[in-house]
Amino acid sequence: MDIVVIVLTVIALLFFFATTVGLLRFPDFYSRMHAAGKGDTLSSLVILLALVLYNFHEINLANLLVAMKILLIAVFIFMASPTATHAIIDAGYESGIKPWAKNPEEESP
Amino acid sequence: MQSIISSYNYWIYILLMMIGLYAMLAKNNLVKKVIGMSIFQTAIIVFYVSTGAKEHATIPIIAHGHGAVEAAVDVAHYANPLPHVLMLTAIVVSVGTLGVALAICLGIHRRYNSLEEDEIQEQL
Amino acid sequence: MIWQLDLSILTLIVICAFATIMVKDLLSAAIIFGAYSFLMCLLWTEMGAVDVAFTEASVGAGVSTVLFFAAVHQTTRRVRTRKSGRMLAKVFALMAALLTGLVLIIAETDFPGFASPFTPASLHLSPYYITQSLHDTNVPNIVTSVLADYRGFDTMFETAVIFTAGLAVIAILRRYKRDDRCDLPEPYVISEGYPDTIIRFIARQLAPFIQLFALYVVAHGHHSPGGGFQGGVILGASFILLAISYDSRMIIGIMSERLNILLGNIGVLIYAGIGFLCLLLGANFLDYSVLSKVLPATDKIMARSHGMLGIEIGVAIAVMAIVISIYLNIISHGKYDKG
Repeated sequence: MDIVVIVLTVIALLFFFATTVGLLRFPDFYSRMHAAGKGDTLSSLVILLALVLYNFHEINLANLLVAMKILLIAVFIFMASPTATHAIIDAGYESGIKPWAKNPEEESP
Repeated sequence: MQSIISSYNYWIYILLMMIGLYAMLAKNNLVKKVIGMSIFQTAIIVFYVSTGAKEHATIPIIAHGHGAVEAAVDVAHYANPLPHVLMLTAIVVSVGTLGVALAICLGIHRRYNSLEEDEIQEQL
Repeated sequence: MIWQLDLSILTLIVICAFATIMVKDLLSAAIIFGAYSFLMCLLWTEMGAVDVAFTEASVGAGVSTVLFFAAVHQTTRRVRTRKSGRMLAKVFALMAALLTGLVLIIAETDFPGFASPFTPASLHLSPYYITQSLHDTNVPNIVTSVLADYRGFDTMFETAVIFTAGLAVIAILRRYKRDDRCDLPEPYVISEGYPDTIIRFIARQLAPFIQLFALYVVAHGHHSPGGGFQGGVILGASFILLAISYDSRMIIGIMSERLNILLGNIGVLIYAGIGFLCLLLGANFLDYSVLSKVLPATDKIMARSHGMLGIEIGVAIAVMAIVISIYLNIISHGKYDKG
């Protein structure tokens, strides 16, 4: 059981790291938000899954309740975080931020 | 050197307080001053809470089973709850103060059309 | 008390604090301030102060950031770049800050070491609270029992302070139709925001669950971190979520100004009312054990627990109403019709 928890945590850390690298290195607002929104949500869900599994050292009612509460948090993050990303990207679009084009002279209509 | 190692956290709290104080005094923009005030408040709160922390102590909620058998409660096992109570009040009061400070900033902006301190002082 | 974690979180906090005051864009400063609050909340959880961390997460990182956003949205967004001439003032401010820091550092050499169980704060009164709280009041959460029962007077005036803050914001910002000069001068355009289906749908679906969770936080405050303030702020935050995703007009239709002030009043009155009820029944103000005469089938210890629940409900109602009121006032610039 411990091995599974450790493996899941390391996977989540890798995803977080990839998210941060993407946040810093992508050339454009939209791709950065893409990386941030997806990577963040996935990493949070994997870490919460690892916590749920860590909780199951002994199976009794209290631990089951804690596991359910953590799963509820995961559901909430799954609903709210992509919505927040969508809201930010929408606001950026309405403000007129143009997507990145490889050759800046060509204006895409 | 030993005293620095053992009390590094107090130095960092003082550093945070001084960042807040500097922002309140030296920054020109009113909202930056309000942010400095908030940083100062949270730094003081973290200082107080840290005086209540104990090594190898758990959170101040007494663990008891559903049978409610009263076992002996060891004081050194629980973190000191008294600073937590005082700081709860402090946080809630700080958000009230923040609301009023931002409302005053809004009123000043409505009247003088600027949030910079020196431009407001010229217009006074 | 893992000192490596402590040190790394503290370093990040200092970096965030520096960044907040140095950034030129006020909106970014507000966001970095939100990150700073969340890091503080992590630090307090690691020190064992879960109630304080809960309050900071809901109040500091949630509502404070939203209020900053609302205020910055109404006014200018960028800090105007400086012409020189403030250099002397900045140097003086730096010297003042350094001098105060030096004095404080000299004072802190007297402090006991970090996290020892023998600090003076932990020796005199708090052992009584830790050992006697479950026995006296049947509430395992020591912070709630101290906040609501042993130091209940403080909490009542804290609720009054929140209420006064709401009143102050109304007094500063509110403009009525019958005022002359009622219309805002030219640069102010209250933007309405555009309807967006996804955000509205999700906000509409999530809001009842957020409110249910807030009620759970209020009711379960005896056994887990929580209590009146946190629950009230989360309730208010759910309404603010609806106000942001929909129009403010919809929220003003539901929680009009009158209802807000009425609820704020009712909250403080519940608190003071329970205190007066204890007075009328013949004991001291806010001494809940005499409530056992009124509540059926409770002894004195359970009466204290129920009395605490009653005042927590009062606090939650008051805090919710005031948080919504402050937000609506700031976002509509006092006019309460758009936003």
